[in-house]
Amino acid sequence: MSANLPEFNLVKPSSIAEALAAFRDQPHAKFCAGGTDLIPNMRHGLFEVETLIDLGQIVGFDAVTINGADIELGAGISLSKLVGRADIRERFPAIVKACEKVAGLSHREAATLGGNLCLETRCLYYNQSEWWRKSNDYCLKYQGDICHVAPRGNRCRAAFCGDLAPAFMVHRAEVELVSLNGARRLPLADLYVEDGAAHLALQPGEILASVHLPAARARSTYGKICQRGAIDFPQAGVAVSCRKEAGVLQFELAFTGTNSKPILLEYREPLGPKTDADSYFEALEKQVQKSVSPQRTTTTAPHYRRLAVAALAVRLARGLV
Amino acid sequence: MKRIVSLNINGKPVEDAIADNLLLIEYLRETRRLTGTKQGCDGGECGACTVLINGRPRLACITLASTCDGAKIETIEGQGEGGRLSALQRAFHENLGTQCGFCTPGMIMASEGLLRQNPDPDDAEIKAALGGNICRCTGYVKIIKSVRAAAQQSAGAA
Amino acid sequence: MTKPRHFHVAGTPVPLVDGLEKVTGRARYTADLTTDDALVGRILRAPRGHARIIRIDTSRAKALEGVRAVVTGADCAQSYGVIPIAMNEYPMARDVLRYRGEPLAAVAAIDAKTAQAALDLIELTLEDLPAVYTAKEARAPDAVQLHPDKQGNLEREVHHSFGDPEAGMAKADLVRDEVFSCAEVNHAQMEPHAALADYDPERGHLTFHSVSQVPFYVHLTLARCLGMEAAQIRVVQPFIGGGFGARTETLNFEIITALLARAAGGKVMMHLTREESFLTHRGRPQTDVALKIGMTDKGKITAVKCEVVMAGGAYAGYGLVTILYAGALLHGIYDIENVKYDGYRVYTNLPPCGAMRGHGTVDVRHAFECLLDRMAHELGLDPFAVRRANLLRAPTFTPNDLMVNSYGLGACLDKVETASNWYNRKGKLPPGRGLGMACSHYVSGAAKPVHWTGEPHAVVSMKLDFDASITVLTGAADIGQGSSTIVAVAAADILSVDMSRIRVIAGDSALTPKDNGSYSSRVTFMVGNAAIEAARALRQKLVLAAAKKLESLPEDIVCEGETFSVKGSAQSMLSFQEVALAALAEEGTITVKGTFTTPIKAQGGKHRGGAVGSTMGFSYGAQVVEVTVDIATGLIRIDKVWAALDCGFAINPLAVEGQIEGSVWMGMGQALSEETRFVNGLAVHANLLDYRVPTMVESPDIEVHIVETIDPLGPFGAKEAGEGALSGFPPALVNAVADAIGLEANFLPMTPDRVLEALIKQRRAAKRKVAS
Ligand SMILES: Cc1cc2nc3c(=O)[nH]c(=O)nc-3n(C[C@H](O)[C@H](O)[C@H](O)COP(=O)(O)OP(=O)(O)OC[C@H]3O[C@@H](n4cnc5c(N)ncnc54)[C@H](O)[C@@H]3O)c2cc1C
Ligand code: FES
Ligand code: FES
Repeated sequence: MSANLPEFNLVKPSSIAEALAAFRDQPHAKFCAGGTDLIPNMRHGLFEVETLIDLGQIVGFDAVTINGADIELGAGISLSKLVGRADIRERFPAIVKACEKVAGLSHREAATLGGNLCLETRCLYYNQSEWWRKSNDYCLKYQGDICHVAPRGNRCRAAFCGDLAPAFMVHRAEVELVSLNGARRLPLADLYVEDGAAHLALQPGEILASVHLPAARARSTYGKICQRGAIDFPQAGVAVSCRKEAGVLQFELAFTGTNSKPILLEYREPLGPKTDADSYFEALEKQVQKSVSPQRTTTTAPHYRRLAVAALAVRLARGLV
Repeated sequence: MKRIVSLNINGKPVEDAIADNLLLIEYLRETRRLTGTKQGCDGGECGACTVLINGRPRLACITLASTCDGAKIETIEGQGEGGRLSALQRAFHENLGTQCGFCTPGMIMASEGLLRQNPDPDDAEIKAALGGNICRCTGYVKIIKSVRAAAQQSAGAA
Repeated sequence: MTKPRHFHVAGTPVPLVDGLEKVTGRARYTADLTTDDALVGRILRAPRGHARIIRIDTSRAKALEGVRAVVTGADCAQSYGVIPIAMNEYPMARDVLRYRGEPLAAVAAIDAKTAQAALDLIELTLEDLPAVYTAKEARAPDAVQLHPDKQGNLEREVHHSFGDPEAGMAKADLVRDEVFSCAEVNHAQMEPHAALADYDPERGHLTFHSVSQVPFYVHLTLARCLGMEAAQIRVVQPFIGGGFGARTETLNFEIITALLARAAGGKVMMHLTREESFLTHRGRPQTDVALKIGMTDKGKITAVKCEVVMAGGAYAGYGLVTILYAGALLHGIYDIENVKYDGYRVYTNLPPCGAMRGHGTVDVRHAFECLLDRMAHELGLDPFAVRRANLLRAPTFTPNDLMVNSYGLGACLDKVETASNWYNRKGKLPPGRGLGMACSHYVSGAAKPVHWTGEPHAVVSMKLDFDASITVLTGAADIGQGSSTIVAVAAADILSVDMSRIRVIAGDSALTPKDNGSYSSRVTFMVGNAAIEAARALRQKLVLAAAKKLESLPEDIVCEGETFSVKGSAQSMLSFQEVALAALAEEGTITVKGTFTTPIKAQGGKHRGGAVGSTMGFSYGAQVVEVTVDIATGLIRIDKVWAALDCGFAINPLAVEGQIEGSVWMGMGQALSEETRFVNGLAVHANLLDYRVPTMVESPDIEVHIVETIDPLGPFGAKEAGEGALSGFPPALVNAVADAIGLEANFLPMTPDRVLEALIKQRRAAKRKVAS
C-alpha cells in the first residue's frame, strides 16, 4: 500500500463545539476543511499532525445568512457555491472574480472560504519534498533556522497567496472566530500578521467560523498576476473597490502574494471631477509599488511582481471609474 | 486508525474498513483495484485523478477516503452501460481526444461533471471547467472538440 | 448493429486501435500492474550537487524488519549509456556523485512505509566538491572537472564547415549576428516514471515492465548491467503515458528496479514521484546559440555561421547526438551552400539532459527563424518572401549530404499565408497585437541507429491462422502517438480487409520482433514500411491460393474488400475466409515478415558525425502565430495558430492532426512558460505548479493544414508528423511579439517578467538615444 500521508487520527465533529472540544483533547491537532491546501502540504511532509479534525461534517458550517443588506457566510462554504451565488456576484463582484481564479474547478468544489482565508503561506524553499528541504538544510518556517529568501533577516518571508482575502478586505469584511474561550470578531485585515511562519492571529484551537460582509457600498473587482489561466497561485493579486462619497471617488486596494500577509491600502486621495486622472493614477501606481514588498518566494522576480501588480491595480481602478 | 466507511462506487454499495490517512486515490487504485483513475503528480496539480463525488468533480489524490463516508463515487470504470461507451467516452475515442490516454480518465470525469451541470457549454465554459486538467499530448484542441461532440450527441439523443 | 465496412483505410481518419481501452480506463499502464506480492522499491537520492562518496552505510536499513533488499553503487560496476562510445553513467553513483537527485542507493521492502523508513536509516558520508551549474562556470579555466577523461568539461566538440562560409559572408549585402539563449525544458509526460521487475531466482529469469519508449535498449542495458544473458530477460511494454523523448534511453530507475528484484529474489514495483520523474530528466538542455547570417538584398542566404553551447548535465546520455543534430539540421530546410558550425556540449552538475521532441533542432531553429525575420525587416522584405528566396528543390542532397527526396515547404508557406490572411493583416493589427511566422523541419527517423548492428531497421511479422484473423507483431512502442494504429492501417489497406480482422500485438520481447523504439520519429516511416512489406508478402500467399482455387493466374486475381476474384469475372468470388483456409491447407499457420532498411545514400555524409541528421525524408512545416501582448504586465496571449505540415502523406489524417496540434502546443509551452530552474543545483521546478505546462485556458485554437508531397520512400508516401511542427512555434511567437510591440527578444521562454524587463530596457535605451 502506498503511504502518501503520515499516520494520524481523523476526528469528524458535527458541530463547532465538538470541533473545539476535539482540539482541547488533542492539542497536536489540525483543522481540515476542503483539504486542498492541507493535504498536498501533508503529502510533502510540511508538518506533523497526530489528529486531523475534519470540519467538513459540521452541520450548518456552510450556511449563508442574510441580515438585511448584510451577508454572513459560513466558513465552510465551498468556493463553487460562492461562485454560484447571484447576490454575491452582483454586490461583491471582486469576491466571485477572485473565487473563479482559484486553482481549478475540481479544487473549488472542495475548497472552502475558511480554508482559503487561513491558507498556509508559500515559498520556493518550503513547498518542496522532504528530500528537497533536507538537502537544503530546511528553513526557518519548518525544522530549520535560516530563511533562504532573506538569510540575514530574522523572520520567515513565505508569502500569503490566497486569492479571496483581498477581495473580502476591500469590502470591509469581518471574521468571526470561536474558541473555547468564546467568540470574537475582527476586521479581516487583523486576522493576519506579517510573519510567514505564523501569519494568522488565530489562537491555538481557534476556528474561523464565519465571515461577515457588511452591505456593499462599493463597486469592486479582482485581478491576478499569474502565467496560466488556471492552477497557478497568484504571483501577486489585487482587489480594488471604488466608492462614491461626497461627489468624489475613493479607492481601497488589497494585495495578496506580495507579503507574508495580505496588504490593505486605503488610498486617501479622492478622485474628483476636476482631478487630472492620469497623474492621479500615476501617483496611485507609485503608492502601490511602495506598499507591497514581494520577496524571492517564487521563481518570478520580486521586482516584476511589484511592477506588474501596480500596473494591474491601476488598470482595475480605472475600470471602476 | 481504521473505520468502517460506506460508499457507493459506480452504482455499487460497498463497505470497507479504511485507514484514516488513506487517500481516495489509494483506496480506489489499491484496495478496489480501480486503476483507471491516474496519479500524475505529487498532489493536486494535474487533474489526472479527477473522479465524481456526489456528482461533482473532485481530486482523488487530495481527498481522504474516510471523509467520503456515505458518498456516491463515480470513476471512469463506471461510465457507459452494458459494455457500451458513454457519450463522452465515444466522443473522446472518435475525435482523438485521447492520445497516450493518461490524462483521459480524469479529463472525461471532469467533462462528465461539466455536462451534467451545463449540457451545452461553449468553449470558454469548457476551458473554465477543465482548466485544472493537464494533457501533455493533444494541445487540448481535440479534447474541446470531443466535449462539444458529446454535448451535441446528447442533445440529439434527448 | 453492423458497422459499415471500408477497406482502403490508408488516408482516412481512423480512431486509435487501442483507444477503447484508454477511454474506458481498462488500459493498464506500468503503475496499474499492482499485485499484492510486489515489494515496494524506493530510491535514495543525492542531497549534494557534487561530492566524493566516502561511505554509504546500509547496515541499519538492511536490518530493518520488512526490508528485502538494499542496493548501492557497489552492486553495479557496469556503466551504461545510450551511445556505445559514451557510456559514463552508473545506475547508482559510485565514488563520485554529480548532481542533486542522483540515485545513491535503493531499497525493496514489504510496503512503502518500511521502504521509506529504510532509506532514512542509510547513512551517507560525503565530501563536498566544488560544483558547476552553468556552461559558463563549467568552461571556466579553473573549473572543477566532472569526468576525469573530459578536460574542460567538454563532452563533445563539433566543428563542421561546408562550402566556403567566409566567401559567402563576403558576398552578402547584409550580415547580422545575434546570441539567443533558450532555457532548459522537460518533457513532463503525464505519466510519472514506473517499473515493475520480477526476478525468478530458480530459473534465473527476469521479466520487466516499464514506461520505456525503447524496450529493446532497456533489454540490452539490463543484460549488461545485471550481467545476465539477454535470453534470460523478457521486456514487456504496457500502455505508456507519453514519452516525448524522456524515455528514449534506459533510465537509472529501470536498472535499479531490476537490481532490487534480483537482490530480493522476487517482484519489485517502483513508482517515481513527479519530483523524481523531473530529476530523472533527459530534457532539452539550456542552449546558447550565437548565429550569424549573410544575405543578399533579395533575401538569398549566402552563408551561415553558428556556434552552439549546451549545458548538458552530469552524464553523456544522448549528448553528442544532440550537439551533432543542432549543426546538421541547419541544413535540409533551405538551400544554403556555406555553413560553418561549432558546437560544444558541456558537463554541469545538474540532472542529465537527453532527447526531447524535436531533438537538437529546436533552439537552433528558433535562433535561425528569428534572425531571418529581423533581416527581412531590415531589408524591407516580407518574412514569407525571405523564406521563398531560399527554398530547396527536391530531389537533392544538402552540402552535408542529407538526402531530400520530397519537399513541401513552399506549399506549407502558401497554406498558412492564405489561411491567416497574412497580407491583409500583417502590420495592420491594432497596437499590442501582432502576427509572426516561421518554418521548421524534422527527420523521419535517423537513417543510422545508435546501435548499429547491420540488421534491418525495422521488422514486422504477421500471422494468419485458422480463424482467418491477422495478428500483427511489432516491437514498436506505442507511446500515445498511435504507432499500433498505423501498423494496423497499413496491414488492412494492403490486404484490403476490415480493421476488425486485425489485432496488433506490440512491445513484448518474447513475442514481437525486435524494434529500436519510438524516437526520432522513425516508427511510421520504418515500421510502416516493414508492415506494408509484410502485408504484401501475406497478400501474395493469399493470391496464389486464390489463383489455384479459381484455376487462374495470380496476376489476374483481384483482391478487394475481403474477396478474391478473377479479373473481369465476378461470378466466382471467394471470401477471405475461404482463401485463408485454402492457403493454410498448403502450409499450415502462415507467418510472414516484412523489413525495412534505409538505403546507404540516405545515411549521411562521410565526415565525423555525418550520420546524425541523416534520414529518408524530412517533414516540413510553416506556422503563423497571432498574439496579443499586454505591455503593462508582460503577459502574452496566443490568439490563434495556423500550422501547415508536409508529412508526405497522411496515413491517418486524424492522428496527423493530433500530432501537429500536440507538437505546436508543446512548442508553445517552451516558448511561453516552461523552464527548469535550479537553486544551487536543487531543482525548484520539479512539480506541475512550478513547471508551467500550459492549461486549456490559455491554449489557443490551432488550425492545421496537411500538405502531402508523397515521398518516394515513405510508406504510402508518408513522412513524420509528430515533431516537425514544434520548432516553428517559438520563433513564430517571438516574431509575432516583435510585430506587436517592437520587442526583439533573444530569450526563451517569453515569461511575463522577462518580457517586462526587456521592455523596460528597450525604453531606457530609446530614451538614451533621444538624449544623446
Ligand atoms: C494546485 C493547486 C493550486 C492552487 N491554486 C490556488 C490559487 O490559485 N489561489 C488560492 O487562493 N489557493 C489556491 N490553492 C490552495 C487551496 O486550494 C485554496 O486556497 C482553498 O481555498 C483552500 O481551502 P480548503 O478548504 O481546501 O483549505 P484546507 O486545505 O482545508 O485548509 C487550509 C488551512 O486552513 C486551515 N483552516 C481551514 N479551515 C479553517 C477554519 N475554518 N478555521 C481555522 N483554520 C482553518 C487549515 O488548518 C489549513 O491550515 C491551490 C491548491 C492547489 C493544490
Ligand atoms: S494526481 Fe495530479 S491532481 Fe491528483
Ligand atoms: S492524452 Fe496523453 S496526457 Fe492527455
